[in-house]
Amino acid sequence: MTETPSYEEAREELIDVVRRLETGGITLEESLTLWERGEHLAGVCQTWLDGARQRLDAVMEPESE
Amino acid sequence: MALETSLEKPAPVRQVATAIDGWIARLGTVWVEGQVAQLSRRPGINTVFLTLRDSVADISVPVTCSRTLIDSLNPPLVEGASVVMQAKPTYYANRGTLSLQARDIRMVGLGELLARLERRRQLLAAEGLFDAALKRPLPFLPRRVGIVTAPSSAAERDVLENARRRWPGVDFAVAHATMQGPRAAGEVMEALARLDADESVDVIVVARGGGSVEDLLPFSDEGLIRAVAKARTPVVSAIGHEPDQPLLDLVADVRASTPTDAAKLVVPDVAAEAQGVASAQQRLRQMMLGLVAREQTGLEALRSRPVLADPRTLVAERHNEVALLRERARRTIGHALDRAADDIDHHRARARALSPLATLERGYAVLQDHAGHVVTSVGGLAAGATVSVRVADGRVHADITSTTSLTDQETTP
Repeated sequence: MTETPSYEEAREELIDVVRRLETGGITLEESLTLWERGEHLAGVCQTWLDGARQRLDAVMEPESE
Repeated sequence: MALETSLEKPAPVRQVATAIDGWIARLGTVWVEGQVAQLSRRPGINTVFLTLRDSVADISVPVTCSRTLIDSLNPPLVEGASVVMQAKPTYYANRGTLSLQARDIRMVGLGELLARLERRRQLLAAEGLFDAALKRPLPFLPRRVGIVTAPSSAAERDVLENARRRWPGVDFAVAHATMQGPRAAGEVMEALARLDADESVDVIVVARGGGSVEDLLPFSDEGLIRAVAKARTPVVSAIGHEPDQPLLDLVADVRASTPTDAAKLVVPDVAAEAQGVASAQQRLRQMMLGLVAREQTGLEALRSRPVLADPRTLVAERHNEVALLRERARRTIGHALDRAADDIDHHRARARALSPLATLERGYAVLQDHAGHVVTSVGGLAAGATVSVRVADGRVHADITSTTSLTDQETTP
């Protein structure tokens, strides 16, 4: 887990976390750990998307000026 | 009939010349085919001197011919013409030269020419010179375009102008050559070799603005065809569009119908290409933007799910659960206490019903000794002992004065 997962890995795991949280049947402690993991994964996904958007903007903005 | 000579017995020149003449004379007359490379009529001399050149190899032989024979030819014999002649190899002893003495000269006619071209085509095709596998693709953007054409010809102008219109940055290397007549094939080969040797030339165009079958004969020259087949650089043939295509069209890597067409083939339309690239870039970017936007929407949908958006729900659910359980627990305990109280009352009533109090109220009393034991017999009781009498509403403390046993009473008073 030290390595940042790829966007797809993070998204797949995030979907899994949400599914498990919604299904229930786990301990409170487990659900809190899962939720924290979910928040982290959502942050990773957002970072990837922001990075992609920045790279697109970096190419397109100088031309539109 | 070798001459027998030695250092001591050398043969005189006349004898050697006669021997050579004899050997050559034995060749007899032959039919020979070639191209007239040179034709010189010297005024006042009845003999015309020609040079007959092989159509492929750089080999030629002098020919002598009577002026009468030359003048009788129709069309008139000119330099570059292909001829078939009947001639006798002759040795001129007085000058030590050899020449062919022409007895009959036949111009190679148009039909004959085409038949020969066809035979040549078949031979070269059988050799594989025209194989599709040998065709090389033209470079998309050539560094330099080599052009073999006649100086200041319409063909040259057509290629240069049309190519520059499509791509202003095109670079040309023009090698001029005679594009007609007996010297054409050789000069075109030379120009081709020069351009082929230039490392920066990526494609060579051989351009000429069409012409008659005879005009285009150099472009079916076997030597030129072989040179093009061997060339390192791709060659484009642009020799006008004629029904009888010269063999150059077949051996060239690409055949253009006109010099203008050749310009289109060797140089891309840069404006159209640039537009294509720009449009592809635009589509690429739109696609990427759409992709990121779609993923963003998906991520937001995930984040807005209650379990992630408001994690307090995770605790709240359990909080409610605990409250409900507490409520249930309290209710349950209440019921249990009530039931226990009822139970106690019941037992109390039963205990009361069983107690001796009612009997005491009817006048009975219970005697207890000093230790609290119930006394049921006079045995063991002595006068002076202290006893307690339990009646309905209290106790009587008494001292025993005497005891009487009922069984004793009948025997002892």
